[in-house]
Amino acid sequence: MTPPAPLDYDAALLACARGERFALRVLYEREARWLLGVAQRIVRDTALAEEVLQEAFLQVWQRAATFDPALGSGRGWLYTVVRHQALKTVRSRRPEDALEPETLTAVSDALQASASHDRDLDADALEHCLDRLDAERRACVLHAFVDGYTHEQIALKLSTPLGTVKSWIRRSLVALKDCLA
Amino acid sequence: MTLDTAEDRSVAAGEYVLGTLSDTDRADFERALGGNAALRAEVAYWQDRLLSLTRHAPAVQPAPGGWARIESRLGPARLRAPTPWWQRLTLWRGLAGAGVAAAVLMGSLLMLRLQAPSPEERFVAVLQAPGGGGNGWLVEVSTRGAAGGTLRLVPVAGGQAVAVPTDRTLQFWTKAPGASGPSSLGLVPVGAVTELPASRLPALMPEQLFEITLEPAGGSPLGRPTGPVLFIGRAVKLSS
Repeated sequence: MTPPAPLDYDAALLACARGERFALRVLYEREARWLLGVAQRIVRDTALAEEVLQEAFLQVWQRAATFDPALGSGRGWLYTVVRHQALKTVRSRRPEDALEPETLTAVSDALQASASHDRDLDADALEHCLDRLDAERRACVLHAFVDGYTHEQIALKLSTPLGTVKSWIRRSLVALKDCLA
Repeated sequence: MTLDTAEDRSVAAGEYVLGTLSDTDRADFERALGGNAALRAEVAYWQDRLLSLTRHAPAVQPAPGGWARIESRLGPARLRAPTPWWQRLTLWRGLAGAGVAAAVLMGSLLMLRLQAPSPEERFVAVLQAPGGGGNGWLVEVSTRGAAGGTLRLVPVAGGQAVAVPTDRTLQFWTKAPGASGPSSLGLVPVGAVTELPASRLPALMPEQLFEITLEPAGGSPLGRPTGPVLFIGRAVKLSS
C-alpha cells in the first residue's frame, strides 16, 4: 500500500482561515503526535503538554488568517504556534523550576534524533551548518529550541556566564544564516 | 534588543523563534512585527530553517478524545467572505432531511434562479446508497473561480453518519460516460465537507458517475475501487 500523500500544510491553514473545521482536524490527525512530542519536551509533563496542544490548536484556528504562505511554510508556522504556547505555559506555571539544576539534569539531554525521513523533514542543510559550530554553541541552539530553555537556564546548564551564552546564541544565528545562504 | 541593522533584525527574529527573548523583548518584538513585513519574513525564515530540529523531540501519542475536546471549543466557523449559495449547508441539510433527491435538485435550481446568470457550468449529483438506502452525499461542481472551479462533496442525511471501521476509509471516485474506468478523487472524511479543485476531474459532463466506496485505510491499493459501493449517483447539469 502506498503511504498517505504528503499533507499540504499551507492549503490546510488557508482552509482553516476560511472556517473549514475538517482542515484543522486533518492537521491534528496528521501532526498531533509530533507536536505533542515537541510540547512535552518543553513542558516536561504529559497532562500539561496535552493542554498546550489544545490551546495551540485553538490558536491555529483563530489565527490561521494571519498565516501568509508567501513568507514561509505552513508547517513552520504551525510548530511555532505550538512551541510558543509551550514556552508561555512552562514559564508562567513553573517559575520555581526555572533555575533548579536538578530539574534540568533530570530531564536528561541525550539529544536523540528520531528518523526524519518518515516525517519528510529536510534536516541535512541545518545539520551540516550546526556541525560547523563549536559544540557549546550548537548546544545553546539545541537547548533553546528543543528544550525551550531560557538564556539563564542554558547558562546554568552549561556552567557558562549569562553574557557568554547570549553572545554565543547571537553569533550562532549569524553563522547559521551565513552557512544556510 | 535593537532592530537597527539587518543582522539585529535577523538575530531578534531567530531568538523570537527559538524562544530566548525576555518577556519584555518578546512583547516589543511582537509589536514591531505587526507593521514590519521584512521582520515577519525573517521570522518565517527561521521557522522553516529550524523546523527540522523538532525531530529531536520523540513523538508522543495524544490521549484519546483530544480532537473532540478541541472541536468542542472551536465555536462557529468564522467565514471571511459571503457564503456562496452552494456552501449553504443548512439549506442542503434541511432539504435532504426530507429524504427526496428530487427535492435537493429542485432546491438547487431554485437557488440558481436567485443568482445573477453567469457563464459558468454547474453540476449536481445526489449520491444514494445502492438499493434505495437514502441520500448520503451531494456533489456540487461549479466551473467558476480559480483552477477551473470547485467540486464540493457534502454529506447529507446518511452521509453524516456512515459507520467506517478503523482499518477502512471512504474513497471518492468518478467515471465519465465512455471512460474506461473510475478515477480516484481521493479519500473522504466522514461527516465533513470535502472540497477539490474541479481541475482534478478527468472530465465533467452530464450523466457522469460519482461514487463512494469502502476501501482499506490509505485508499485502494489498486487504483480502482475494491470495496463495496456505499453511495452512487450521476451528475445532472444545471441550466442557468
